[in-house]
Amino acid sequence: MMRRNVAIIGCGQTKHGRLRNVNTSEMITEAAWKAMEDAKVTPDEVDAIVVGNMQGFGGIYDTELWAGESFGAPKPFLRITTGGTTGGSVAHGGYYSVASGLYDVVLAIAWEKHSDSKERGATTGLAHVAMANMFHDLQQGASLKWLVSLVTGAAIGVSAFQASCYMYRSGCKVEHLDMVAAKDRRNAAKNEYAHLRWPNCTPEDIAKTEWVSYPLRFGHVCPASDGASAVVYAEEKIAKKKAERPAWIKSVAAYADEPNWLGENSQGTAITDLSEQLQCVISAKEAYRRAGIKDPRKEIDMAEIYQPFPHQELMFSERLDLFDEGKAWIALEEGQTEIDGSMPLDPSGGVISTNAIGSSAMQRVLECALQIMGKAGKHQVPKDVKNAVAHGWGGSVNFTTVAVLGDSPRR
Amino acid sequence: MQRKIAIVGYAQTHHEADPPNTREGMVFEAAKGALDNAGITREAIDTFINVSSDYQDGRTISNLFLVMAEGAYLKDESKVEMDGAFGVLYAMMRILSGTHDTAMVVGVTQGSIFSPHQISFYTLDPTFDRQIRLLNDVAAAAIQARMYKNKYDVSDEQIAMVSVKNLMNAASNPYAHRRIPDLTVKKVLNSKLYYDPIRELNISPISDGACALVLASEEKAKEITDAPVWIKGVGSCQDSYLRDRNLLKLESLETAAKKAYKMAGLKDPSTELDVAEVTERFSHEELMIYEALGFCKEGKGKTLIETGVTKRKGQTPVNPSGGALGADPILATGLVRIVEAAKQIRGEAGKYQIQGVRQALAHGQTGLCAQSNIVFILGGEG
Amino acid sequence: MEEKQIKYKTEETITTEGEWPVGDYKYKAWKHHEEFKEGLKEKKIVGSICSGCGRVYVPPTYICGRCFRWMEERTVVSDRGIITSFVLSNPMRKGMKILGMDPVDMGIVADGEVLIPCMVKFDGSDSFVQTILLNVDPKDAKVGMRVQVVWAKEPKGQLSDIEGVEPTE
Repeated sequence: MMRRNVAIIGCGQTKHGRLRNVNTSEMITEAAWKAMEDAKVTPDEVDAIVVGNMQGFGGIYDTELWAGESFGAPKPFLRITTGGTTGGSVAHGGYYSVASGLYDVVLAIAWEKHSDSKERGATTGLAHVAMANMFHDLQQGASLKWLVSLVTGAAIGVSAFQASCYMYRSGCKVEHLDMVAAKDRRNAAKNEYAHLRWPNCTPEDIAKTEWVSYPLRFGHVCPASDGASAVVYAEEKIAKKKAERPAWIKSVAAYADEPNWLGENSQGTAITDLSEQLQCVISAKEAYRRAGIKDPRKEIDMAEIYQPFPHQELMFSERLDLFDEGKAWIALEEGQTEIDGSMPLDPSGGVISTNAIGSSAMQRVLECALQIMGKAGKHQVPKDVKNAVAHGWGGSVNFTTVAVLGDSPRR
Repeated sequence: MQRKIAIVGYAQTHHEADPPNTREGMVFEAAKGALDNAGITREAIDTFINVSSDYQDGRTISNLFLVMAEGAYLKDESKVEMDGAFGVLYAMMRILSGTHDTAMVVGVTQGSIFSPHQISFYTLDPTFDRQIRLLNDVAAAAIQARMYKNKYDVSDEQIAMVSVKNLMNAASNPYAHRRIPDLTVKKVLNSKLYYDPIRELNISPISDGACALVLASEEKAKEITDAPVWIKGVGSCQDSYLRDRNLLKLESLETAAKKAYKMAGLKDPSTELDVAEVTERFSHEELMIYEALGFCKEGKGKTLIETGVTKRKGQTPVNPSGGALGADPILATGLVRIVEAAKQIRGEAGKYQIQGVRQALAHGQTGLCAQSNIVFILGGEG
Repeated sequence: MEEKQIKYKTEETITTEGEWPVGDYKYKAWKHHEEFKEGLKEKKIVGSICSGCGRVYVPPTYICGRCFRWMEERTVVSDRGIITSFVLSNPMRKGMKILGMDPVDMGIVADGEVLIPCMVKFDGSDSFVQTILLNVDPKDAKVGMRVQVVWAKEPKGQLSDIEGVEPTE
């Protein structure tokens, strides 16, 4: 069957940070309106809206029921929430909505307002995901020492253990994590919407920060940001009319693995290497196949990787088949992943600089779109961007969303 | 639509108050059941959509631990956090896009984990309504019921007739939660008062349950089954917030239904539809649903229920399975409505089978006073 | 196209203090840990084994998602294995509050102790158990290290019967 081509014709995001001057409804509306204006569409021209955020953090259930009218209700709404991949899943949902033929113009918006919550730092933790597991284990007679060790050592959650696995598997060192963090903080300084912006940040600056729990330092960890990001999708004819250089969605794929931590109520799961990430490898393979990309290393010009922790930038760049297994840290040392390198990774600064959980994976898609459209301002990569890959992870690092975007429709 | 899509298999758990089963167990049961019903294995499914709620389940990323139980291991999957019928819409869109040919939608909620009425409180405007602490879904529905009664002169007895119809229908449905074969209007009016005029037997019960169905594109559907149930039309719409919308009408349902009818080519739904499975969380809601679906004029829902038009033997049977009043596993409820409508078309509804069903309507809702609605039109072969 | 500014009526908002005591949740769990705990009482590590793929899950679980089947069979695995991952906490100090407790003051940990939460794959198992690495200098902790369970002196049939793991040959 003839597949419909879909493009992003407009992007909008709020500044991300600690936003105490707006409430959630205003924050979402700002991003939604910016996206619609950038897309040159009025709310009436939008056929449907896809939304998502991680409800537990901001304390509002189904925010769009209350706030929807400010950016489009009454209208068909769809809510998608998948943990860290929420923004990516929302982005995919928006794509499928138009690709299905049921709608021609769709607004996709994802957000998070962490500062409304008492536990601002809750973004990175195991706490919410595994809380029920902890209650269960205490009921089964787990020791207080175990609980204390988990809370202090693993405050960061499964990612800390994953860093340990990845360093063993790839041979990368803590110094490489420092280098990734510094590069991304420098990139973020060029991005007016990012949260943690540190121009001229060096790996030594990062190495001076204290350990959260080895092998991760405070300098490695993402912030808990407030922010919203939105994109407008359109089918081919409308896209060509509205946008000078639409960012075409060539493919999406989102595969899931067994929970990388324990199962519900601490059941065993048969994954022992948290850095294997089979579902990311498969998502990437499928996304490239669906997009008609035969050689990602030659055809992909840049990637926005979801990396709240620096080892994930290295790890996922390998799983996305942009570098060989265990070789990403060499590419890093050689400067290939710098903003002006041959394979720029996270020119926006990535999640390590800005993490409004619901919004973060959407931002990866949005940033790739900006790069293709040539609208990334000071953090525009200097090379020609023909194809870009946007990645997200979620759950206990067992969910992945991958999208391949390009400057021309898939044929 | 770009492709024809059919429901080719389905299953649901027995909906109960607090059965000794976990979310995972229920999801596994429903998912396996649906695959068995379709006669295929999980390898044949291209994409999975999970429907579950973080707040209801007390776990952020509620579908994280359900991946294996669903059958979604190393599969392309996602989640919808609204009524299950919206999950079916998303699965449909994935197949329509051409990227996938088959999909499974699994919805689960265990109301026993945390009261859905308490959760409804968190959907209120946090800056004002929540601070005042007077509203929840039942209170809001009571306000709507009172407005509706006053405007159209509808009596408590007429509203109670909906409960009697549905809960007696539910008695023939082995999967339903609340089954009362000998219910009377008097018993409904004597049940515990919540917010006047809403009483216990006017409110859907809090159930634990799961439901799953399998969708397939035309080519795959014909390979899988001789009795595909085609999706002829779909429409959805979300209304403005509680205080900003017209509570006297379910306007978003009317919009959604019109879209679905148009897509399915229906001109006179009440005669062209052989059965309707709707989500009525409150008895008065069903009367308003009749009107929004165009089965009667505004305010005339009471006439339909009084004259028995929507009874099983009536001209337009509504909720022969018992509806949400019979079983309400919250996010799975809309999925159950679609499955019940499909069962009618396939002739698998046992004791509550309506004769000669060729076209059916299924409806799901989310939000206070049915704020967001989705309508499916299903049809059999030919 | 001219830049449109979104104008707000105010530049600031007030903060409304509120508690969101979501309430008590009643989670439901299987009794999958019962057999595990019974095994612990006898210093045995019990797992479930899938009749389809033969994978062994410790602690036991019921669904093998790969084969999509229910696991009835149980098996016992070794109490020796390898570290597949670990992290190091900062040194514990008196006065540090964790979940409202002062662990040093309570005698749960020693002053200056570095806790090493780790993942252990027992020989014969395909999954990992999450526990604490004991009796080793944090500098020497390594992924791939061989370890042995440190059993409680008198196992009672509860999770703390496994006090942790320590290095072994």
